Amino acid sequence: MSACIWCGRQLQTTLTLAQIWRFTPIAQATVCDACQHRFAAITSQHCPACGRQQMDETVCLDCQRWSGIRLTNHAVYVYDAAMKTYMQQYKFQGDYALRVLMQAPLAAALQREAYDVLVPIPVDQTTWRTRGFNQVTGWLRNQPFQQALLVRATHKERPQSAKARADRLRTPQPFILAPNANQLLRGQRVLLLDDVYTTGRTLRHAADQIYLGGAKAVTSLTLAR
Amino acid sequence: MQNDEDFFGRQLPLRGAPTNGAVGQRALRTVGDRRQCQRCGQWLAVTDRLANGDWYCRQCLQLGRLTSQHELYTIPEPNRFARVKSGGLTWTGQLSAQQNVAAQAVLRHVKTRTDHLLWAVTGAGKTEIVYPALAWALAQGWRVAWTSPRVDVCLELAPRLRQAFGGVAQALLYGGQADPYAYCPLTICTTHQLLRFKAAFDLIVVDEVDAFPLATSPMLQRAIANAQKPKGCHLLLTATPGNDLQQQVRRRQLAVTYVPLRYHGHLLPQIDLRLAWRWREGLLRNRLPSTLIHQLRGYLTKHQRFLLFVPHVVDLPVISQALQLAGIQGGVTVHAADPERPAKVQAMRDETIPFLITTTILERGVTFPNIAVVILGGDDPVFSTAALVQIAGRVGRSADFPSGQVTCYCHSHTKRVRLARGMIAHLNLQGRRQGGRP
Repeated sequence: MSACIWCGRQLQTTLTLAQIWRFTPIAQATVCDACQHRFAAITSQHCPACGRQQMDETVCLDCQRWSGIRLTNHAVYVYDAAMKTYMQQYKFQGDYALRVLMQAPLAAALQREAYDVLVPIPVDQTTWRTRGFNQVTGWLRNQPFQQALLVRATHKERPQSAKARADRLRTPQPFILAPNANQLLRGQRVLLLDDVYTTGRTLRHAADQIYLGGAKAVTSLTLAR
Repeated sequence: MQNDEDFFGRQLPLRGAPTNGAVGQRALRTVGDRRQCQRCGQWLAVTDRLANGDWYCRQCLQLGRLTSQHELYTIPEPNRFARVKSGGLTWTGQLSAQQNVAAQAVLRHVKTRTDHLLWAVTGAGKTEIVYPALAWALAQGWRVAWTSPRVDVCLELAPRLRQAFGGVAQALLYGGQADPYAYCPLTICTTHQLLRFKAAFDLIVVDEVDAFPLATSPMLQRAIANAQKPKGCHLLLTATPGNDLQQQVRRRQLAVTYVPLRYHGHLLPQIDLRLAWRWREGLLRNRLPSTLIHQLRGYLTKHQRFLLFVPHVVDLPVISQALQLAGIQGGVTVHAADPERPAKVQAMRDETIPFLITTTILERGVTFPNIAVVILGGDDPVFSTAALVQIAGRVGRSADFPSGQVTCYCHSHTKRVRLARGMIAHLNLQGRRQGGRP
């Protein structure tokens, strides 16, 4: 008998005959059904550029305002109240155990993407020391990824989540390429992975650097939009 | 950087040593190959580890994460506050004769620093009974905490204590509050907040000691023991002590004072038990027991307001619909996660609605004058003996309407209901000896 990792309620597991006959270890659930279904998955009706859930499949207003390179982003869940609560507890309160909640849905989403190299958005040194983990790589189970980006050492900023839209858009380039990035990226299709797509500023900065590293194409996947 | 006062009797998690002479200890202590959190006393699981190799405690995460990088800093409690000679008691009310007897007993035990249980029936005026002892303790320059596992009890209590003890600085602490911490002789807080203290209080008053989650949480029980000075004592207040407390009383390990009578001198209403065989099957066809319908119709025609307790949140809409079909209309449902809960309870208080259908959340801490109580499915395990006695205690709390009906509909006889009736009968027996009127 174990408890749900998020809400702490006792998990009701029912053993089926099929499970007994299979003679293989039974996968222990860590999350209850209610918690797993708390998030709203994004359906096929979304903005083709940023992945935002909407009523039709046209490019949304926010995306039309972006000039320059076009970035195609897909997102798994809607950034609603439940997702906000989850992010608050996982990322800001620092409950690393909650990463398990998102591992399965993210693995399924990665299956649907076509890419050669997976590059998660990095965290800076101070965050690594205080938070103790990168919230994005925590969601990866065994998928190989390359840390091709680093955060500029001089980049001392308020976190993106503490800013308004206009301030976010003015953020200077925070990333540099890792020393071995050119060999990793040359001629490859790169998939960027981040937690939340809000204005798209961070992902576009990252995509710019990845293109500088010689990548053939850059797309991105975020957990929430 | 940090104020000395912030460290008095507390355990503050910091990454580096503060400039004042506070003593630190590792927040996570390694014992063998296991790790124990020094704030909440719980053991870490092998999976409670961050990507950078640090350990962290998941049990007390709500109070801010503790990792193996943290140390807990404390300065031993010096009781450094201005002493108030009279204890700061500005309360002008009068204790009844039997409340006074209990108050003197409590004072005697506090003076000798012995742990003590005040077993007072619902509506006996527990808070006021403690005032003389509290005033004495504050006059001695003691640091006192008044704590409860339920935040609504704390929120209701704080303004009352502020009025009753006008001359004493008070701090109110609970999760998610905006005010910063203040060093005060009297602290009102939830039991969770006691985890931030270490050997701080000379006296801890634990209100509603049997309430969820304190009764089943070793972490919170340890928090109380830890926040108390080694020479301090605690005073437990409840109307329905659990089995373990009753056993301690029987074994004479815990001193006890009974207050078997309410402040207006009337006995507790006994639970009237009625069988409603297979009422759940009837509910599937949208039908409630005819005896229940008849009783509730009677209440509506007499304009008698009532509370209908049901076992689960999922039962609320079903039963509400069945009542509507039977022509009993005008009530609203309320449960723990209901965002409009305070508004609905207030509407009931203002007498704008005739009845509330509710789960066990209204079992304690609410007072409606002239109310009747009906419990449907009292044999369900969610209604513990204590819960049933507390629910029955909602009736007849005001001196103008000291009696009322408590009816419990059950599918079958259970031990919990029998014990609840037994507890009320036992208290009423003692009450009658002290001259209680039915």
